[in-house]
Amino acid sequence: MKAAHYLLGIVMAALLLQGCAFSRGTVGDDVKTEMVATIQKGTTTKTEVVNLLGAPDRLLQLNGRDVFHYYRYDAKAGSLLLILLNFTRLSVKSDDVFVIVNRDGIVEDVISSKRTESLGFRFWPFGE
Amino acid sequence: MKHVGKRTIPLLVAVMVCLPFMGCNVARMTLNTTLTPESVAFIVPGKTTFTDVVTRLGAPDTITDADSGVVATYRFLDLKYSRVNFGWLAKPWTPVDPDLIFSKTGLGVDEFQVFCNPDWVVVQQGFQRSLTRPPFHPYPF
Repeated sequence: MKAAHYLLGIVMAALLLQGCAFSRGTVGDDVKTEMVATIQKGTTTKTEVVNLLGAPDRLLQLNGRDVFHYYRYDAKAGSLLLILLNFTRLSVKSDDVFVIVNRDGIVEDVISSKRTESLGFRFWPFGE
Repeated sequence: MKHVGKRTIPLLVAVMVCLPFMGCNVARMTLNTTLTPESVAFIVPGKTTFTDVVTRLGAPDTITDADSGVVATYRFLDLKYSRVNFGWLAKPWTPVDPDLIFSKTGLGVDEFQVFCNPDWVVVQQGFQRSLTRPPFHPYPF
Protein backbone atom coordinates (compact mmCIF):
# COMPACT_ATOMS: atom_id res chain seq x y z
CA MET A 1 0.00 0.00 0.00
CA LYS A 2 2.87 2.34 0.94
CA ALA A 3 4.65 1.52 -2.30
CA ALA A 4 1.52 2.44 -4.26
CA HIS A 5 1.44 5.82 -2.52
CA TYR A 6 5.11 6.44 -3.34
CA LEU A 7 4.50 5.43 -6.95
CA LEU A 8 1.50 7.76 -7.16
CA GLY A 9 3.61 10.57 -5.70
CA ILE A 10 6.39 10.00 -8.22
CA VAL A 11 3.90 9.90 -11.11
CA MET A 12 2.24 13.14 -9.92
CA ALA A 13 5.62 14.87 -9.52
CA ALA A 14 6.73 13.69 -12.95
CA LEU A 15 3.48 14.90 -14.49
CA LEU A 16 3.88 18.36 -12.97
CA LEU A 17 7.60 18.69 -13.75
CA GLN A 18 7.23 17.76 -17.41
CA GLY A 19 5.40 21.07 -17.91
CA CYS A 20 7.95 23.21 -16.06
CA ALA A 21 10.15 25.91 -17.54
CA PHE A 22 12.93 27.91 -15.93
CA SER A 23 14.34 30.97 -17.71
CA ARG A 24 16.91 33.51 -16.65
CA GLY A 25 18.36 36.68 -18.09
CA THR A 26 21.01 39.07 -16.78
CA VAL A 27 22.20 42.49 -17.90
CA GLY A 28 25.61 43.75 -16.80
CA ASP A 29 28.41 42.24 -14.76
CA ASP A 30 28.11 41.17 -11.18
CA VAL A 31 29.37 43.90 -8.85
CA LYS A 32 31.12 42.05 -6.04
CA THR A 33 30.24 43.25 -2.53
CA GLU A 34 33.82 42.60 -1.33
CA MET A 35 35.20 44.89 -4.02
CA VAL A 36 32.72 47.66 -3.15
CA ALA A 37 33.65 47.25 0.52
CA THR A 38 37.31 48.06 -0.25
CA ILE A 39 36.36 51.56 -1.44
CA GLN A 40 37.13 53.94 1.43
CA LYS A 41 35.40 57.27 1.76
CA GLY A 42 37.89 60.16 1.82
CA THR A 43 40.89 58.13 0.65
CA THR A 44 40.11 56.05 -2.46
CA THR A 45 40.67 57.94 -5.69
CA LYS A 46 38.63 58.00 -8.91
CA THR A 47 41.39 56.05 -10.72
CA GLU A 48 41.37 53.34 -8.06
CA VAL A 49 37.60 52.97 -8.39
CA VAL A 50 37.91 52.52 -12.16
CA ASN A 51 40.74 50.00 -11.69
CA LEU A 52 38.63 48.10 -9.17
CA LEU A 53 35.18 48.10 -10.77
CA GLY A 54 35.92 49.06 -14.35
CA ALA A 55 34.42 51.93 -16.28
CA PRO A 56 30.98 52.91 -14.92
CA ASP A 57 27.79 52.00 -16.77
CA ARG A 58 26.66 55.60 -16.40
CA LEU A 59 28.47 58.78 -15.43
CA LEU A 60 26.38 61.51 -13.79
CA GLN A 61 27.06 65.04 -12.58
CA LEU A 62 25.60 66.05 -9.21
CA ASN A 63 26.32 69.52 -7.83
CA GLY A 64 29.81 69.50 -9.28
CA ARG A 65 30.53 65.94 -8.16
CA ASP A 66 30.98 62.96 -10.45
CA VAL A 67 28.76 59.96 -9.76
CA PHE A 68 29.77 56.56 -11.14
CA HIS A 69 26.76 54.29 -11.50
CA TYR A 70 27.30 50.53 -11.84
CA TYR A 71 24.24 48.32 -12.29
CA ARG A 72 23.22 44.78 -12.97
CA TYR A 73 19.76 43.38 -13.70
CA ASP A 74 18.71 39.82 -13.01
CA ALA A 75 15.45 38.29 -14.28
CA LYS A 76 14.10 34.89 -13.29
CA ALA A 77 11.00 33.34 -14.82
CA GLY A 78 9.22 30.20 -13.75
CA SER A 79 6.44 28.64 -15.81
CA LEU A 80 4.10 25.84 -14.93
CA LEU A 81 2.59 24.58 -18.18
CA LEU A 82 -0.31 22.28 -17.46
CA ILE A 83 -1.61 22.34 -21.07
CA LEU A 84 -5.05 23.64 -20.14
CA LEU A 85 -3.87 26.00 -17.43
CA ASN A 86 -0.53 27.82 -17.54
CA PHE A 87 1.10 29.94 -14.86
CA THR A 88 4.11 32.19 -15.44
CA ARG A 89 5.90 34.53 -13.07
CA LEU A 90 8.77 36.80 -14.10
CA SER A 91 10.65 38.72 -11.44
CA VAL A 92 13.26 41.36 -12.19
CA LYS A 93 15.53 42.99 -9.64
CA SER A 94 18.61 45.18 -9.86
CA ASP A 95 21.90 45.70 -8.06
CA ASP A 96 23.06 49.31 -8.04
CA VAL A 97 26.27 50.95 -6.89
CA PHE A 98 26.72 54.73 -6.89
CA VAL A 99 30.21 56.07 -6.17
CA ILE A 100 30.19 59.82 -5.52
CA VAL A 101 33.54 61.47 -6.31
CA ASN A 102 34.29 65.06 -5.25
CA ARG A 103 36.05 67.75 -7.29
CA ASP A 104 39.48 66.56 -6.05
CA GLY A 105 38.87 63.08 -7.44
CA ILE A 106 38.42 61.48 -4.00
CA VAL A 107 35.48 59.21 -3.13
CA GLU A 108 32.97 61.10 -1.00
CA ASP A 109 30.30 58.45 -0.60
CA VAL A 110 29.35 54.96 -1.76
CA ILE A 111 25.71 53.91 -2.05
CA SER A 112 25.01 50.31 -2.92
CA SER A 113 22.36 47.66 -2.64
CA LYS A 114 22.15 44.06 -3.77
CA ARG A 115 18.52 43.19 -4.40
CA THR A 116 19.17 40.21 -6.66
CA GLU A 117 20.34 38.04 -3.75
CA SER A 118 16.72 37.64 -2.64
CA LEU A 119 15.49 36.87 -6.15
CA GLY A 120 14.17 33.36 -6.62
CA PHE A 121 12.26 31.38 -9.24
CA ARG A 122 8.53 31.71 -8.67
CA PHE A 123 5.60 30.11 -10.49
CA TRP A 124 2.55 31.29 -8.60
CA PRO A 125 1.43 34.66 -10.06
CA PHE A 126 -1.05 35.55 -7.34
CA GLY A 127 -0.40 37.30 -4.04
CA GLU A 128 2.72 39.41 -3.45
CA MET B 1 -30.67 4.77 -12.24
CA LYS B 2 -30.20 6.32 -8.80
CA HIS B 3 -26.65 4.97 -8.75
CA VAL B 4 -25.86 6.54 -12.14
CA GLY B 5 -27.22 9.92 -10.99
CA LYS B 6 -25.03 9.80 -7.90
CA ARG B 7 -21.96 9.41 -10.07
CA THR B 8 -22.99 11.75 -12.85
CA ILE B 9 -23.78 14.81 -10.75
CA PRO B 10 -20.34 15.10 -9.11
CA LEU B 11 -18.76 14.48 -12.52
CA LEU B 12 -20.86 17.21 -14.09
CA VAL B 13 -20.00 19.60 -11.25
CA ALA B 14 -16.31 18.79 -11.73
CA VAL B 15 -16.55 19.46 -15.47
CA MET B 16 -18.40 22.74 -14.86
CA VAL B 17 -15.73 23.83 -12.38
CA CYS B 18 -12.92 22.89 -14.79
CA LEU B 19 -14.45 24.48 -17.90
CA PRO B 20 -13.64 28.10 -17.06
CA PHE B 21 -9.97 27.15 -16.56
CA MET B 22 -9.59 25.48 -19.96
CA GLY B 23 -7.04 27.20 -22.17
CA CYS B 24 -6.15 29.65 -19.41
CA ASN B 25 -2.88 31.54 -19.14
CA VAL B 26 -1.97 33.64 -16.16
CA ALA B 27 1.29 35.57 -16.16
CA ARG B 28 2.81 38.20 -13.95
CA MET B 29 5.94 40.33 -14.15
CA THR B 30 7.35 42.38 -11.30
CA LEU B 31 10.27 44.81 -11.33
CA ASN B 32 11.82 45.49 -7.95
CA THR B 33 9.81 45.55 -4.75
CA THR B 34 6.64 47.61 -4.81
CA LEU B 35 6.87 50.54 -2.39
CA THR B 36 3.79 51.62 -0.49
CA PRO B 37 3.04 54.80 1.52
CA GLU B 38 3.47 52.64 4.65
CA SER B 39 6.95 51.47 3.64
CA VAL B 40 8.16 55.07 3.16
CA ALA B 41 6.35 56.53 6.18
CA PHE B 42 9.66 56.72 8.09
CA ILE B 43 10.83 59.61 5.86
CA VAL B 44 10.41 62.97 7.59
CA PRO B 45 11.23 65.90 5.30
CA GLY B 46 13.89 68.15 6.85
CA LYS B 47 15.10 65.43 9.24
CA THR B 48 15.70 62.16 7.39
CA THR B 49 18.99 61.96 5.51
CA PHE B 50 19.58 60.25 2.20
CA THR B 51 21.74 57.68 4.02
CA ASP B 52 18.72 56.73 6.17
CA VAL B 53 16.63 56.27 3.03
CA VAL B 54 19.29 54.07 1.40
CA THR B 55 19.66 52.02 4.57
CA ARG B 56 15.93 51.23 4.58
CA LEU B 57 15.09 51.07 0.87
CA GLY B 58 18.41 50.23 -0.77
CA ALA B 59 20.11 52.19 -3.52
CA PRO B 60 17.79 54.06 -5.89
CA ASP B 61 17.53 53.23 -9.58
CA THR B 62 18.65 56.68 -10.64
CA ILE B 63 20.06 59.81 -9.08
CA THR B 64 19.63 63.02 -11.04
CA ASP B 65 20.77 66.57 -10.57
CA ALA B 66 18.32 69.37 -9.85
CA ASP B 67 18.80 73.14 -9.40
CA SER B 68 18.81 72.99 -5.62
CA GLY B 69 19.75 69.42 -4.86
CA VAL B 70 19.46 65.85 -5.97
CA VAL B 71 16.52 63.63 -6.92
CA ALA B 72 16.72 59.90 -6.18
CA THR B 73 14.19 57.71 -7.98
CA TYR B 74 12.99 54.23 -7.08
CA ARG B 75 11.09 52.51 -9.91
CA PHE B 76 8.80 49.51 -9.65
CA LEU B 77 6.37 47.72 -11.89
CA ASP B 78 3.65 45.10 -11.54
CA LEU B 79 2.24 43.63 -14.74
CA LYS B 80 -0.62 41.13 -14.77
CA TYR B 81 -1.79 39.24 -17.82
CA SER B 82 -4.58 36.71 -18.11
CA ARG B 83 -6.02 34.95 -21.13
CA VAL B 84 -8.78 32.43 -21.72
CA ASN B 85 -9.25 30.55 -24.97
CA PHE B 86 -12.86 29.43 -25.18
CA GLY B 87 -11.97 27.64 -28.43
CA TRP B 88 -10.80 24.78 -26.21
CA LEU B 89 -14.44 23.98 -25.53
CA ALA B 90 -15.04 23.16 -29.21
CA LYS B 91 -11.71 21.41 -29.90
CA PRO B 92 -12.98 17.85 -29.18
CA TRP B 93 -15.91 18.21 -31.57
CA THR B 94 -14.55 20.16 -34.55
CA PRO B 95 -12.04 19.15 -37.24
CA VAL B 96 -10.55 22.68 -37.21
CA ASP B 97 -8.60 24.33 -34.41
CA PRO B 98 -10.93 27.12 -33.24
CA ASP B 99 -9.86 30.05 -31.05
CA LEU B 100 -12.03 32.48 -29.15
CA ILE B 101 -9.62 34.37 -26.96
CA PHE B 102 -10.33 36.90 -24.24
CA SER B 103 -7.26 38.49 -22.71
CA LYS B 104 -6.38 41.50 -20.66
CA THR B 105 -3.10 43.03 -19.49
CA GLY B 106 -2.89 45.37 -16.54
CA LEU B 107 0.27 47.43 -16.15
CA GLY B 108 0.90 49.01 -12.80
CA VAL B 109 3.99 51.19 -13.03
CA ASP B 110 5.08 53.80 -10.57
CA GLU B 111 8.11 55.51 -9.09
CA PHE B 112 8.98 57.00 -5.75
CA GLN B 113 11.01 60.19 -5.78
CA VAL B 114 13.11 61.59 -2.96
CA PHE B 115 14.33 65.15 -3.29
CA CYS B 116 17.44 66.00 -1.21
CA ASN B 117 19.18 69.31 -0.63
CA PRO B 118 22.97 69.67 -1.24
CA ASP B 119 23.58 68.39 2.35
CA TRP B 120 21.75 65.13 1.45
CA VAL B 121 18.81 65.85 3.76
CA VAL B 122 15.41 64.86 2.36
CA VAL B 123 13.39 67.96 1.55
CA GLN B 124 10.47 66.39 -0.26
CA GLN B 125 9.25 62.94 -1.21
CA GLY B 126 6.35 61.46 -3.13
CA PHE B 127 5.02 58.89 -5.54
CA GLN B 128 4.78 59.87 -9.17
CA ARG B 129 1.32 58.35 -9.44
CA SER B 130 -0.59 56.07 -7.15
CA LEU B 131 -0.07 52.53 -8.33
CA THR B 132 -3.33 50.84 -9.16
CA ARG B 133 -2.94 47.15 -8.59
CA PRO B 134 -4.43 45.57 -11.71
CA PRO B 135 -6.64 42.54 -11.09
CA PHE B 136 -6.36 39.20 -12.87
CA HIS B 137 -9.40 38.96 -15.09
CA PRO B 138 -9.34 38.28 -18.82
CA TYR B 139 -12.63 39.99 -19.67
CA PRO B 140 -11.53 42.85 -22.01
CA PHE B 141 -14.82 44.73 -22.36
